[in-house]
Amino acid sequence: MSQSSVTLRATTAAASPSRTRSRRLARIRIWLTAGAFLLPALIGLLILRIIPTVQAIGTSLTNQVGTVSFSNFGYVFTDPSFLNALKVTLLFSIVINPVQIALALWLAVVLTKRVPGVGIWRTLILLPIAVPQIVSAIVWGVLFRPDGPLNGVLEALGIAPVPWLVSPSTALLSIMIICTWVGVGYWMTFLVAGIKDIPASLYEASELDGAGGWQQFRYITLPGLRRPLLFVLVADTVANFLIFAPVRILTQGGPQGSTNLIMNFIFERAYTLADPGGAAAATIVLVLIVVCVVGVQFRLLPGKD
Amino acid sequence: MSDVIDTPRQRRAGRRALLIAIPVAVLSVLPLLWALMSSLRPSSEIFAHLSPFTLSTIWPSSVSLDNYAAVLGSDFSRSLINSVIVAFFSVVLGLIVSSLAAFALAVLDFPGRGAVFAVMVVSFLVPFEAIAIPLASTFRDWNLQNTMVGLVLPAIGNGLSIFLLRQFFLNIPYSLAEAARMDGLSWFGIYRRIYLPLSRASLVGAGLILFVFQWQSFLWPLLIAPSPDSRVAPVAIADFAQESGVDYGQMFAAAILTAAVPLILLLIFQRQFTGSLASSGSKE
Repeated sequence: MSQSSVTLRATTAAASPSRTRSRRLARIRIWLTAGAFLLPALIGLLILRIIPTVQAIGTSLTNQVGTVSFSNFGYVFTDPSFLNALKVTLLFSIVINPVQIALALWLAVVLTKRVPGVGIWRTLILLPIAVPQIVSAIVWGVLFRPDGPLNGVLEALGIAPVPWLVSPSTALLSIMIICTWVGVGYWMTFLVAGIKDIPASLYEASELDGAGGWQQFRYITLPGLRRPLLFVLVADTVANFLIFAPVRILTQGGPQGSTNLIMNFIFERAYTLADPGGAAAATIVLVLIVVCVVGVQFRLLPGKD
Repeated sequence: MSDVIDTPRQRRAGRRALLIAIPVAVLSVLPLLWALMSSLRPSSEIFAHLSPFTLSTIWPSSVSLDNYAAVLGSDFSRSLINSVIVAFFSVVLGLIVSSLAAFALAVLDFPGRGAVFAVMVVSFLVPFEAIAIPLASTFRDWNLQNTMVGLVLPAIGNGLSIFLLRQFFLNIPYSLAEAARMDGLSWFGIYRRIYLPLSRASLVGAGLILFVFQWQSFLWPLLIAPSPDSRVAPVAIADFAQESGVDYGQMFAAAILTAAVPLILLLIFQRQFTGSLASSGSKE
């Protein structure tokens, strides 16, 4: 159809038919070439993203009897353990995202000053991201033991021991500490690069005008960091929605569901409880939340130009 | 960063920053250091000096490699080798697939390029893990459980590395490609002989990112390859840690062995790694 309309247009453009024709051929050829270059990635995209998403939608809309219905969604949304998982995930996100980003920003500002040996400090702070999450989880799991080194330090300081992972009131906090330890250096790296891209002359000029450190941060660093900060905000939020390894290894969502982040909930639905419909429905909810967060954050930040 | 201006005020601020930089760096490294030290001593000693916290909490009284010998003599070495194979193929195939796609998106001017790129970016923003659980049942239907193909395949459609490489390819002057076209070089030739050789540093960066994230992936291997023969190191460690009566010394040795590979690579290629991260975050 489009092929024939192109032909029609080509033949009616009578000015120089051979030229138009060769241009059309060149267009088709470049299209085929691009297709060939993109083919492996597009097949990957199809197999790894589109088919599973469509299948998950299909599974989530199939009830026990095998007919199409929204019963899985109805049932997950009335299921107290799903609502609890949503609540825990939300609480986790609301606390950990601002904390991680503020820490990363603070460290980025500090580590773009003329610090002796600055490269060493940045690298050491970045190291935890390269440690497999499972290893971090295990190491911190031992650090957090009631008789572990962390409580040993607290005892040495004369502070009462903290139950960390064993108490519902501190378990989620403990998971947050692990994830922050893992991620802060990583997010800092993006912000360090962003600060380095801000022209040094702006700082020099403001210094001559007598601007203090806070004023420089407020009026030069922060506006100059808009784009990397937006990226970190989106990427960090999404990453924190998908925390799985530490929960799986250390708490399995407990005690009393206090660390049952949504990925762990979905995993248990699918495997421990053998409920693929419920797992798929929860996955669709998760993907929708992630897409919304990405969309809202892009809109909230001004000056995307 | 040039050293054109270096006022006393800046130097003073820099030295004051050390008061923050050093403690944070120590906090970042201390848990790893403690795990390393614990892996060098018998399990009985690990918990003997925890409380109160003293130097002997960290420093072992006698150093031995027994835990490493025990771990490497067990099934775990099989899992480490699996991890190496999976990571190797993920990086090589991932780089080939994503550099081809990045070339088309950066250099070829074809209709629909914007739309294809938008789809790729969205797939980059909605991470693979989000749909890993439904994907695993699809893969099981295709009989890919406990296979190398099943483990490697998801690493191939990596939006992040496509994004990074496209970014770099865009900075290569288009006139080079044009001149080569005049000389009759094919587009594949331009990709192969001009763009790839000019992008060595960013290929290393993208490869390193692929490696680090593939090496530590846990959810997908747990779903698709849980059997003792085909499991990768993180899954093996998780199984190990969940055994009753786990030997902590050996567990830490396994953890250190698994962490050492990406840590060493990161220390060697730190510049390329941070460079690649930087270009994905700060530029359009």
